[in-house]
Parts: sequence; structure tokens; C-alpha cells
Amino acid sequence: MAARRVGAGSWQRVLSLSRRCSVPGGGRGCYRCSSSSTALGKTADNAEVAQEEIVLPRRKTWDKLAVLQTLASTVKRDPTAAHYMFPDDPYLMPKNAANFRLFALSKESGKNAAKFIINQFPEYFDKISVEPDVTCFMPEILTPQIEGVSEEALKERIHLRRVKESVDLFDQLVQAGTPVPLETTNRLLDLLCFYGESTQEKEEQAKKEEAKEDLEEPGVNASEQKAPKRQFRRGLQSSGPRWRENNNAERIFKVMPERNAHSYCTMIRGMVKHGAFVKAYDMYIDLLNERHKADVHTFNALISAVPHLKDRFLERWELAKDFLNHMAQQEVQPNLLTFNAVLKTLRRCGGVGRSMSLLVIKEMEALDIEPSLATYEHLLFMFYRGVELHPSGIISEVLDDVEKRSFTPQDPDDANFFNTAMQACCDLKDIKLAYRLNKAMENGDNWKFLSMDRLNIYWSKFFSLLCMMEQIDVVLKWYKEMSCSLFYPSPRNILELLQALDAANHLERIPSVWEDIKQMGFHRRPELLDELLSLMSREQHPDEIQQAFAKCAEDIKAVHEQSGREQAPLKWTGSTVGCIALLFARAGRTQDAWNMMERFQQINRIPTDQVLDGFWNCAKQTNCPDEAIKLVKLAASLGLPASQRLKSRTEKEFELSEKQKKTLESIQSDSDSDSDSDSDHE
Amino acid sequence: MAAPAVVRALRALPHIRPVLGGSRCLHSTPPCLKARAARVRVGKGDKPVTYEQAHGPHHIAHRKGWLSLHTGNLCSEPGAAQRAVEDAFVRRFLRGTFPGALLAPLVLRRRGRALLVSALLGRALPPAQLLFLQGYAEALLSALYRSPVRIELLTVPAPPVYKHL
Repeated sequence: MAARRVGAGSWQRVLSLSRRCSVPGGGRGCYRCSSSSTALGKTADNAEVAQEEIVLPRRKTWDKLAVLQTLASTVKRDPTAAHYMFPDDPYLMPKNAANFRLFALSKESGKNAAKFIINQFPEYFDKISVEPDVTCFMPEILTPQIEGVSEEALKERIHLRRVKESVDLFDQLVQAGTPVPLETTNRLLDLLCFYGESTQEKEEQAKKEEAKEDLEEPGVNASEQKAPKRQFRRGLQSSGPRWRENNNAERIFKVMPERNAHSYCTMIRGMVKHGAFVKAYDMYIDLLNERHKADVHTFNALISAVPHLKDRFLERWELAKDFLNHMAQQEVQPNLLTFNAVLKTLRRCGGVGRSMSLLVIKEMEALDIEPSLATYEHLLFMFYRGVELHPSGIISEVLDDVEKRSFTPQDPDDANFFNTAMQACCDLKDIKLAYRLNKAMENGDNWKFLSMDRLNIYWSKFFSLLCMMEQIDVVLKWYKEMSCSLFYPSPRNILELLQALDAANHLERIPSVWEDIKQMGFHRRPELLDELLSLMSREQHPDEIQQAFAKCAEDIKAVHEQSGREQAPLKWTGSTVGCIALLFARAGRTQDAWNMMERFQQINRIPTDQVLDGFWNCAKQTNCPDEAIKLVKLAASLGLPASQRLKSRTEKEFELSEKQKKTLESIQSDSDSDSDSDSDHE
Repeated sequence: MAAPAVVRALRALPHIRPVLGGSRCLHSTPPCLKARAARVRVGKGDKPVTYEQAHGPHHIAHRKGWLSLHTGNLCSEPGAAQRAVEDAFVRRFLRGTFPGALLAPLVLRRRGRALLVSALLGRALPPAQLLFLQGYAEALLSALYRSPVRIELLTVPAPPVYKHL
């Protein structure tokens, strides 16, 4: 069924070859034999038709991945499955965000360990030759092959990103008197400015994978589309080594016999990257004095350095405008990153920034540059994350644009867009905007901007907003669909869910939430346990719910009593003990309840009035005067002021036998004598 | 004549097969009786045995499947020996990589150029370590054989016992 390019005169060959003939031009599908024979008959009959031009349609070319993409579009997300990188096994699937990160990183680190061994011992891995060759499974040659002091050796070491060796070799070459051409020296300067002064081999290998030849755009596209783990390495790199005084780059720069614009530009960019902003500015002045032209990347770096050069808002804006004017004078065309750098600077310019940013956007439109997600992120940050929220329609306009397009990564700051936008929606407490943002994220390739960590933060915020603003059944629907497959609720999210359940009066769902809490591993968090217990024990509930609550209480009790190998045992608090006791009592498990009440003595706390009253009510309901008397005795022994009240209630509302009345009386006398001694130790 | 003495001696040691009328060599390999291959001997009833172990090799294709699936053994297909060697290596390698955690022999399948390994593991190690070893083994074996190797893990709390022998 392959589409074959059939010439105009070879209809007969098409017929004879197979029953199912394909029409030339691929995607048209199959014609049956009969139709082509009819066509043949027609052409045979009418001579005029044969003379007409048979216009063959152009062959359709499909992407290599077209079939896979089509198949993928038919499959919706499975809400019960974890991320595809994990095996489908309950033991090996992560249940909370920390585990997700741990498991994903451990798998990657396994691969890195294997790569290390493969590159360390390449002689064991190159004995097999396969047809066709698969280069990604072959060991990489990371050691320099060319020995000796020569320019080729220097070039090779630069190519392999070996900073220290390159510098040493360069020094040797200079001392030997060999002239090193400008091109190679520039490349060496590029290397030094990119890496700063880091001489760690590991980091060099990591950078090698990220951006091989492209020192101009430091690995922007590569970083977004590779595994999300790379984001962490990038973060480490940006707060990396600082620019030392008179380091290798500066030294080589000074001894260079001739310098061109590229040398100055590299130095400026390196200085800005590693934090030597004032030096970068001075270098730029030198460049201007030498009558060179800077390129657009240098200008981008300089503009992004502006907040570090000036302090006051207006001065910063003036300096940025200066740089832009220079760009215009030197006829350097600004690109997207230029404008993003301007906006990044304006971010730190307060009110001036806000007013100027819209002008910058207009300028971008005038130059026909499509804004990227980073542009919008800077805008939203300026307008919505400041101290005072200025009401403006910016966010809906931004969302209008973002919804329509599918973005490609062009700026490292693109990745922050969705989180900033979601934060803005939360601050504005607008759920409709959040839904729109969600849809925009699912549009095309936009979901790729959210890496592992960022995804969780994004969904966490979205879930908080849902719990605040939406009806409980919508919240529960999202919870069921998303939790443990798309995002892992944080303890704060669970607290908000519990509060939403409380607000909607759906407390019977609490036992299932407790099951989820246990599964996620948050069952030792005191704030969650407190919230759960207080919600469960606040009111009386129908019987089966009460039984379920009692079971939860029992689990919580077990959690407190169990002491793990590495975890400190959870401490009992007064409220916990009281709530658990109350829940047991209400479910009719009186023995367990009394065990809990006795614990009060152990932990040196007293039960609250609510607990005592609740207990007393249970005793009343089950019509057990003994229980009531026991309670009064306990209250008296702890020296509580409520004991009097309870005692009088017991006398009035229970029908007591003689023996019981006597016991009650005796308690009173005890309490009178005890209260004096108890009051001073309480 | 030594013949009756030899015959009597041989009857006493039935596991040595005589070479009739041939040279008198020394057997230096251990005896590998086909009647005892791949079978777990019946014991007192306290030995737990999986389904795969409980059935002997004559049950393959009747009650058992194969542990290694490839097309090398079909008529006029090349590479049977290479596949066998690769299988043996992969089994040993993974047995050493997951120390004490493999509960059943690996099932190796080849699809095109890719090798799919299905492993049944016990929960001896924490999940992060198991995933580390999985990533490591996949990358190393892929580089060794220059073809994609995928390892599918399944963990069970205890080895699945079929019966006790």
C-alpha cells in the first residue's frame, strides 16, 4: 500500500502489479482495480482525454512521527495512572510529590551511573557493530586524542569543554612563541566566559550534553525540551561561580595582541553572566572607544544588567533607554530576547516599570516580533504580584493571546509563566480565569513548559482556588481525577479540602480522605491530625458515620503509638486525646474511651469541658449512671471546676440507686479536700 | 576376562553409561541426566514451589510458556546461538544487579531489535533503589548490545507459591 510515484504513461503497469492499486500522491487512499480499469477504458476510448494534461497531485510528505501523534490524539489521559516513566506497580509508583521527585531522579541517576561506566570503560562497549548504527548507545569519546602543544590540540580541548587544560595549553603555546590565531583565542574566551572559573569535570560533562556548539544562545531550546531534571542543573548554574578579579579570561584578554568586536562581546556577556556588572559596563565603554559594534546578544546582556548598575527606578529606565538608542545607532536589530530583557529590568522599576511596559509591548508589535510566554510573565508579574493590586484587564488580554497559540520555548523565563499566571488568578480569586488558563495550558505543546516541580506547584495553587471558590462536588471531581496521577496534593491542599468539606457539610467523606492521607504518607502530620479530629468530634452524627469516625480515630491512635525506626514518636496532645476519647464514646466503644481518658494523666493534660460534656451525654444516652459517676470521679481527681456541675447534673438527671448516691456523695467530699491541694499544682 | 567384572561394576554404578566397544576414556564432566533436568524433587511437603518450578520441561508448550522468545530458532533464521549467549548474559547480569530480589526467572522477549525483559521482584529494596537499578541496567545493557533494552518490573510482597513439595 505504499504510495508509489507513477508516471503519466504507466497505467498498465499499475494495473498489472497488484490488485489494490494506489493512486500516485500518497494520502489519497486506495482505488479499487475496477475504477482504474474504468479510467483506463476511458483513456483508451477517447483520444482527446489522453491528450489532456493529467495533473498529478503532489506527493504528501508526512512527519516521521505523524502516525504516533495521531494515535496519541485518540487516547485521553488515564486518571488512575501515574507518570509514564514509572512502572505500573503499586510499590513503585510515587504517592506524593516528594516521592515523585525522588523516584524520577533515582531513575535518571541510574542512567547517569551507567553512562559514567560506559564512558569510563569504552573498550568493553565497542565490540559489537550493528546495522544500522545507533549512536546514542555508543560510548562517547571524552578524552582528548591529540597530544602535544599545537593549535589543533587546543581546538580539541575547547571542543571537549576542558577549561583548565585549554588554558594551560594556551599558556604553553604563547610561551613557546607560536602565534595563536584570533579565531581560536576568541573561542577560548567564549569557553572561559561561559563557564566562569568552574574547573569541575562533572559540570563540564553536563554542559556538553546540553548545548554542544551553541554558545550564542546558552542552551535555551535544549533546556526546555529535554528531561525536566535539567532545570535543576540550570538553576545551579545561574547562581554559579562569581567572576574573580584578574581571572584567566581577563588575563588572556589583556595579553591578546589584537582584539575584535567578538572578543569584547564575549567578555561583556561572561561578566554579566557571572555577576561582574560594573566591569561589564566598563568593557562596553572600551568597546565603544575602539569603534566596534556590539551584537544583539551583548546588548541583551547589558540591558539585563541594568538593575545592578543603578538603584533608582528612573535612572534604570534611562540607562536601558540609552542601550536601546545605542542599538539603534549601531543598526543592531533587536530580537525577542532584547524586549524580554527590557521587561525584566522594568520588573524591578516599580511604578515606572508598569507604565513603560505597555509602551514596550507596543514597540514589539510594531517590529512584528511575537511575544513569548516570558513577555507575558513579566507583564503579569508587574501588574499582579506587586504590593498593591492594580485592577486592570491585562490578564484577560494575555489569556486571550495565550489561548490561541501553541508556544515554543524561546526564553528560559518562559517556564515561569503558568505559575505566575495561576498565582495571579488566586490573588484575584477568579476561578473562570483559572479555567481559561488551564485550557490554554492543555493547548498544543504548552504543557511542556511545566516541569516536575512547577507542575505540582501549579496544580496545588489551582486546587486551592477550587476549594475556595467552587462547589464541593466539582472540587471532589477534580480531586478524584487529578490526585496521584497529575498532581500530588500537599498537606495544605488536604487541609483546604477538609475545610471545603466542612463548609459544604459533607463530613461523611472524611474517612475516605483519611485513607488518601495514609496512602500519601501524611499521616504523621500533627496539623492534619488535629484538623481531622476536631472536625470529626465537633458534632454528633448518625450511627454508621460515627462508627467510621471511630475507626479513623483508632488508626490515628495507632499512628501515635507506633514508633518507627527513624521517626520520633508522635506526641499526644490534650485535644487529640480528648477528641479520640469522645469519638470512641460516641460510637459506643466505652472501654477504649476510658483507656483514652486515663491517658490524660500520663500526658499531664486536662480534658476540655466539651469532652466532658460529650462523655456525659453519651452516658446519658446509653443510660449508664455508672459511667457518669466514673466521669465525675475522674473530673474530681483532676481537680476540674466542671466536676461540680457534672455532679449536680448526675444527681438531677439520673435515677440513682442508694449505693450510687453514696458514691457520688463521697466524691464530693473528696473533691472538697482535693481541690485545695490540686489548685496549686494545676 | 574383564568384561563380566566390568558389567558387574557398571550395574553397581548405574549412572555411568558404558561406551560399548569403544575407547576407555575418562569422563570429566558431571553427569547431566535428562530425567532430572529442571525438576524440583518431591520432598517432605515443606518446600514452597512456584508454578514454573513445579512443572517439568516436558510441560513446556502444554502448561508452561517459554522464558525466552525470539525468532532465531525458526527455519532458516540466523542468530540462534547469538541470542542464546545474550540471554545467558542478561540473566546473569540482572541476577547480580538485583541481589536477592528476583523471585522468578526473567522472561526475555525480542521485538524487532529491542529486548524486553520482564522481571518479578520482591520488595526487599526501597522503591527508589529499585528504580535506580532499573535505569542503570537498561542503559548499560542498551549500550552493550546497541539496541534498546526495556526492563519491566513487577513487585510482589512474597514469592507466589503454587504448591509445597
